[in-house]
Parts: sequence; structure tokens; C-alpha cells
Amino acid sequence: MSRTILEVMNLKKHYRQRAGILSAVRWRERVIPAVDGVSFYLKEHETLGLVGESGCGKTTIGRTILRLTPATSGRIVFDGHDITAMSARELRPLRRQMQMIFQDLDAALNPKMRVRDLLREAITVHHRLSDDEVGRKTGELLEQVNLKKSKLSSFPRELSGGEKRRVGIARTLAVGAHFIVADEPTSALDVSIQAQVVNLLRDLQRQLGLSYLFISHDLEVVQLVSHKVAVMYLGKIVEMGLADRIAGAARHPYTQILWSALVDRKSAEASRALPTTRRGAWGVFDFERPVRGCRFAPRCPVYEANGRPAVCTDAATEPELRDLGGGHYVACHFPLW
Amino acid sequence: MTGAPLLEIENLRTYFYARSKQAFIRAVDGVTLSIARGETLGVVGESGSGKSVTALSITGLVSAGPGVISGTIAFRADGVEHNLLQDLEQYVRLKERDGRIVEVSKDEPGWRKAVERLMAPVRGKEIAMIFQSPKSALNPFARVGDQITEAIRLHTRAKNPGEAKERALHWLERVKIDSPRLRFDNHPYGLSGGMCQRAVIAMALASEPSLLIADEPTTGLDATIQSEIVGLLAELKAEFGIATLLISHDIRAISRLADNVAVMYGGTVVEHGPAPDVLAPGFAPKHPYTTALLASIPSVQNVRDKGYLTVVEGEVPDAVDLPRGCRFYARCNRVTDDIRDKCAHHEPELKEVTPGHHVRCWLSAE
Amino acid sequence: MTRYSQIAGEGRDASDLPVWRSADTLDLAYIGYGLLIVALVLVSYVLGVFNWLPHDPEQIRFDLLNAPPGSAGHLLGTDFLGRDILSRLIVAIQAYFLPGLVAIVISLMVGTTLGALAGYRGGEVEVLVTYVNNLVDSFPRLVLILLVIAAFKADIYYIMIIVGVTGVPVVASLVAGKIAFLRQKHFIEAALVLGLPSHVIVLKHILWYHCGPLLVIRATIGMGEAILIETSLSYLGFGVQEPMPSWGNMVQAGANYFFQGKFWPSTAPALAILLTILGFHLLGDGLNSILEDRGGK
Repeated sequence: MSRTILEVMNLKKHYRQRAGILSAVRWRERVIPAVDGVSFYLKEHETLGLVGESGCGKTTIGRTILRLTPATSGRIVFDGHDITAMSARELRPLRRQMQMIFQDLDAALNPKMRVRDLLREAITVHHRLSDDEVGRKTGELLEQVNLKKSKLSSFPRELSGGEKRRVGIARTLAVGAHFIVADEPTSALDVSIQAQVVNLLRDLQRQLGLSYLFISHDLEVVQLVSHKVAVMYLGKIVEMGLADRIAGAARHPYTQILWSALVDRKSAEASRALPTTRRGAWGVFDFERPVRGCRFAPRCPVYEANGRPAVCTDAATEPELRDLGGGHYVACHFPLW
Repeated sequence: MTGAPLLEIENLRTYFYARSKQAFIRAVDGVTLSIARGETLGVVGESGSGKSVTALSITGLVSAGPGVISGTIAFRADGVEHNLLQDLEQYVRLKERDGRIVEVSKDEPGWRKAVERLMAPVRGKEIAMIFQSPKSALNPFARVGDQITEAIRLHTRAKNPGEAKERALHWLERVKIDSPRLRFDNHPYGLSGGMCQRAVIAMALASEPSLLIADEPTTGLDATIQSEIVGLLAELKAEFGIATLLISHDIRAISRLADNVAVMYGGTVVEHGPAPDVLAPGFAPKHPYTTALLASIPSVQNVRDKGYLTVVEGEVPDAVDLPRGCRFYARCNRVTDDIRDKCAHHEPELKEVTPGHHVRCWLSAE
Repeated sequence: MTRYSQIAGEGRDASDLPVWRSADTLDLAYIGYGLLIVALVLVSYVLGVFNWLPHDPEQIRFDLLNAPPGSAGHLLGTDFLGRDILSRLIVAIQAYFLPGLVAIVISLMVGTTLGALAGYRGGEVEVLVTYVNNLVDSFPRLVLILLVIAAFKADIYYIMIIVGVTGVPVVASLVAGKIAFLRQKHFIEAALVLGLPSHVIVLKHILWYHCGPLLVIRATIGMGEAILIETSLSYLGFGVQEPMPSWGNMVQAGANYFFQGKFWPSTAPALAILLTILGFHLLGDGLNSILEDRGGK
């Protein structure tokens, strides 16, 4: 039984935003609950896929776990250490074990540094090594991520997308991380390069025993790389379970809609049979309006089909994640089938 | 398909210039395409393959130098044939060495003036465009409805404001935006990405164009919204039959919408033919790149078995230094010893292998 | 006609050319001229220090008052006391060089520190720094200098300290702006996740890699500013005091004879000021376009 490397308990991240033109005069803020009470755990050597539409808070979770932004409340336990309120100094040694692959290919690499310096920096940040050792380690890393040695003297802007991604991955490995938050690691890449990177990430997991929190909106890739998947909707996890169960036997209407959109693109005919969301409420989530009950209710076909039951929109009975057995959790009053 | 095609692009070349390298970026390097009336042509390719630059070249929107340097673009609408690059060669002088362009002299102000003159009766009216990021395609300070009304008054016979507004509302309804009357008065920031894209589509259709160019219309939208937009485009296609140039890297969207598909690689078209033939996984006469591209999409089988994805090794060629032979040669896994020399040194022609299906490969040329 | 030409053949490494090969010719000319001026200033400073001058700059010769250029071995002529203008021009650099450096060092050091604090820390620190900047900025520089002169004495170092302090807000806001821009890219976050301590991120990633050119450019412009301020003050009589020459007091002294047809005593230092300041500014301009624009591509 592998041990739990990351545990997140009731994590909340609320952003404050001044509201209106007169905000400078009248001190009124609105609170945007980007992440609103999320709990999950990740075992060693495991990949947890985090999916959801843009704005659902999945990237915020990744950033909060790595303490790039402080959590509003809740607890993050990494490898037995509660890191929720650790100081930057205390956190630094732990940084060696937890790393991040950033979505933005260009932005995560200092544009004025050559690949060699980017790697050297990552290698030496936690270890004092001689030049020989750094050189050896650099060679090792290049081999691991399958990058040509000739690229060492290049600047990031001279690299192609795939190469930039490889350098980014090499940097996380250089530190010696065994837990990696991969924030949309393939979305900025071309199809043929995406496949290379996905294979690379899986290879590395096998060889080095890495654990990934894999954040993506590409459902197929998530299903492919993840052991478990958590589906987020507006700051909450609505369903969580084994990847294939989530993809093939979703219990939450939102999950089903999400995956049916994929099937929809695969074949034009298959789409007719599946439920579609109600149009009409298809807007951005209105944060000014307090959440009442289930967040998905305004878009939910099941809510509609059941004649708009009051329990779905009752503020007192917001659905919580329930265990349906077999590690499958769903937050819905009327789970499918 | 009868008569001459609606749009015919021949040997289009659009170059940019990398000052820091003092070299040309050959973004589009010899593209030949045609779209018949009512046809949807899907253009697939990876970033840097020149698909978006082709679209910009058609609409005369390439602003960086040297830009479009040669080729012909014939566009036939309303019984009139426009040559969108007519007499423009007089503004450009090319110097070649070893069959490669090493110097371009261009009278840019003259060129721009001429392009504006040629484009004035066409752009926006006969050729409408949908861009990748819908939010940036709309003026953030004007109401959505007003922007559509403006397009209608500019490009159609409905000059009367009341009539134009009615038309605009009609189009907003047609693209199935919810509560169109409400959205008419919204500014773009009040709309979600999907609604913005619908509004942009409404605006494009409102001028009743003969050709619609959709450049990555679903990229950047959420999965559920993407499939809705694709669904909308499919409906509109069935209803109006506007010829569409659909550019996307999303092969699934293309396979759902396109009649014909052109596959671009390294600034040129490597395969062009009916969508079912080009995109079917097992079809024989196909460019190795197309095969590889299709194989690298996670298949149902891949996902179920948690198997490896098939990859195209290597990277897209750098447009600054395109190879002289076949552009895919370095990554190709189907080169045989018989043709290796040809692949490495000579670029194959786009050759018709079966009726309507063209492939640029020495394997098919044999 | 715009001409674009490809210099190298095929198969060449697609990496960037060295800066000077891809730079605009005009920018290179600017930088060349600027460097020439900097070299002249440096040489003049050294000549002044070792007193290697064509004539004694303070030797008064009543037989050669306002002598035209070229007379009796005086290349640029003499001034109203018969002193050699060329020698005085060279020696005058002494009045600017060290004080100017003091001004630059103050504004760069303090400005960078405040800017980095404001940009990196953000929040209340930023508000405070902005407040201080606005306070300093809203005070007319010349008035402040005159106040200090009135309170203490007309010493060029006092003046240059004020010039340095009043130059702080510009540098601070440049640096803070640069950091705000860099923050949009994620490499600062990437460095943080890597486990680099903040001071390394600020010093290495932000200042060393991204603010270097900016600060060099500010320094060249600062030098020009220092000269200009001194000139204005000299004209009011508060600058460098006679008999110590400065370009400002030379112009001022020579101006009295300008309309008598003796134009050289004031024209020579005026031209020196013009050409020098132009040099510093063009140097800054040229460096800006080849160093700063490049990173953005």
C-alpha cells in the first residue's frame, strides 16, 4: 500500500475584488470563491487528474498547493507536513520535493538565460555541486527528457514548443521532485508534440515514481494519464473516482455532459441521444448572487427533468461528496442511474 | 461541383523577415488551394504550418513585411471575378539564388494602397472572417448589437437603421444566442466566450458573404462550448451552404464539418482531398505526415488500454530554414531506399493520386 | 522600396546573429557617437587629473583678451581674461565627472532598491514607495537645489546629491514597472517554486537579467541631466564658482562678449554641452533599441 503524499482538506481560496466604479469611495468588496471547500488526497506514484471548464478553479488549486498564493482556509498536508501556513523559509526545503510544470511555455523560462544556465540553476538550488557533477547531472537530465545536447546553448526563444516543455520538465526533475503539479502541460502544444510529452510524462512516472496532479481540460489525455479523476465545477469537486469510471460511468450530470461533449466531437450522430444542458442559463457564473444549493442546478438537465425539485436550490442542502462505493464520490442529490 | 471554384489560390508565398537573424521566415511557401461554392474546406496543420497566415493573406491583412510576395488569388463572387493580387507584382522585386529567394524589395506603401483598393469591395462583404479569440474581435466599448447593425448597414442593402437592427436581431437569433434582445444591448465583456463567438459568427453572417473564413473558431473555448459551436457551424452549413475555409488544429471538428481537407506542413499543402479519404485512418494513398498526425491523437483504444501514444518524432521544421527536399523528410518513417535521395533533395509535386485527392509525396508520385 | 535580404545560406544555425549584425545602422551610429563622447569625456578627465593640458587654464594674459581661435597657439582662442579656452574646457570636466557619478549612483541605487521593493513586494510597500515618489516628484528640482544652496553653500556635490535624489522616482518607477511586466510572465513564479530565495530572484532574475540595460540607459541619460542642471545653475550664478571652470560658467562669462563679435568664448562651451548631452542621449537611445527591444521578440 503506497502512502499518501498529498492531502488537501476543505481548501478554500477566495479572491477579493473591489466592486463598482465607486469602490474607491465606498469600501465594498465582492468575494470570488475560486476554490470553495475542496478535499482530496493523492497517493505516491499516482496521478490525479483535475478537470473542469475554465474558471472552475482547477489552476487555483494547483497554485495554492504550491503556495504561490495563500489559501483562505483549509489544510494542505504534503508528505506529513502541514504546509498551509508555513513561512517561505520553512517551505524552501520542501520545494525540492514538489514542483510545477507551468501551462505557459515561454513564460516559465527566464528568456535571458540559456538552457544550460536554466538547468544549472535548478540543479544547484538545493545542492552544492562541483562543476563536473553539474555537467554530469545536466547530461543525465537531457537524456531523461530526450533533449539534444546542442540545445544547451540556446535561449528559450530559439526553442520549439516541445523543447521548451522538455526544458521545463527537466528543471522539475533537476530539483529531485517526486510530486509535480502539471498545469495544462500539453494545451499549448501541437497535437504531434502533445503525444510526445504525454508519453514522456508517463515514462518518467514509471522510472522515477513520480506523483502528478494533472490539471487539464483535455479529457482524453486526462483519462489516459490519470489513475483517478476529480471533476470540478465552479470551485467545488462534483465527482471523483477512478479515471475509467468517471469517463465511462459518470454519476454526476455535469461529468456526463463534459464527456459527452467529447463523444460529440468524435461522431456527429452519437450526440443526439445524450442529454444536453439547458440553454438559457448558459452564462458566466454570477458571483454577485449567493450560491443557493447545487451550483450546477441552473444548467442541469436532471434538475429540469425532475421538475425543478426544491432540494437542489435550497441553500441549506448544498450537495456534499458522498461515497458511492469503490472510491467513487459524487455531489448530487439525484445521481444518474 | 460545377463551374469554376469560388476561391482559387495558386502558389501563394507570404514571407516575414526575422531581423535578428537577417533571414526570411517562409510562413507560407507555395500554397495552392481551391474552394468550390458551398464547400467547406478544412485546413489542418500544426502551429507554424502557415494556415493562419494563408487566411490573412487572402483577406489582405498581412501587415508585417515583406508579406505576400507572389502568387494569385482568384475569387469569383456575384458573377465577377476578382483577382485579389491583381497587378501587385509590380510593387515587388525578388532576387533568387539557387531557386531560393534571397532578397525582396517591396514598395510597401504602394502595395498597401493597391491592396486596399482591391479588397474594398470584397473584405467584410464577400469574405467574412471569424477569429480565434472572439473577445478581441469585438470592440469592447460598443454594444454587440450595434456592431452587427453597423456591419449590416455597411455591407448589405439594409441601410435603414430600423431595418438593419431587425436584421441584426434576426442573426443573433439564428446563431442561437440566448435572449437575443438582451444580448443586443450588452457590451462584449458581459458575454461569455461562447456567446461572444456566437455574436462574432452572427456579425460575419450578417453581411451575407460568399466565403466565410473561420480561423480556429473553437480554440480557447471550453470543451462543452466547443462542441456547441461546432454544432452551430454544422447547422449553419446545412442551412445556408456558405463556402467556408475552416482552419483548425482540432481534427475532430474538421472531420465533422469539412467536405474537403487540406493538410499543411511547413508552409505548404502536403495533402488535399475529400475529408473522408484524408481523415480516415486506414486509407492508402496518403501523406506520411497525415498518417502520423492522425495516429498521434489519443484513440479510444489508447485510452482504454492506457497504452502509449504513437508519436511523430522530431519537431516541425523551422520556417527560417526549410529543408530543400520534402519538408517532412526528417521525420518521415516511410522513406524507402529507392526514393531517399529524391526525398532529401527534391520537393515532390502535389500530385493527383485518385480523382480529387492530391498528395505531395514521392511515394505517391511513383 | 523596403529591402529585405537574407544574408546567410541554407543549413545555417537558425540562432540569432550577434547584436551588432542585426541592429539598425542608425542605432549603431548613435551608439558609436555616444561612445566617442564617453571616451572624450574620460580622456579629458584623465588629462585634467594629471594636468596634461596645452596651457595653464588659470594663467591670465592681458595681452590676449578674447583672442580668436588659433592665435598664439590657443586652438579655441582665449576668454575675457586671456585664459586658454581649450584647457578650460578640458579641466571643466572635473567639475562634472565625480559629482555626476555621485548623482547617478544615488538615483540608481536608491531608485532600484525602492523600485524592486515596490514591484516585488507589492501591497503596502508599493503604496508607500509610490507616495514617496510622488512627494519627491512634485517638488520642483531647481527650487529644491536653490533652497539647499541657500541653506548650505553653492557646492557642486550638494547640488548633485539633490539631482540624484530627485532622479530616484524615475528609476524606481521604471524598475517597478519592469517587474510588474515580468510578473505577467511566470518565470518569477517558476523560480519561487524551484525554491530560490527571494533575494536571489530579485538580484539575479530580475535585476541582473532584465534591468541591466535599463539601468545603463538611465545612467547615460543621468549624466547628461547632471551637466544640464549645472549649466542652468551656472547661468544663475549658483553653479561651479570661478576660478574653477565649468561649461556653465564659461558660457555665462562668455555671453557678455557675444554681441561684440567675440562669439568663441561662449560658443565653444555651449557646443561642448550640446554635443556631450546629445551623445549621452543618443547612446541611451541606441542601447535602448538594441538591448531592450530584442528581449521582447
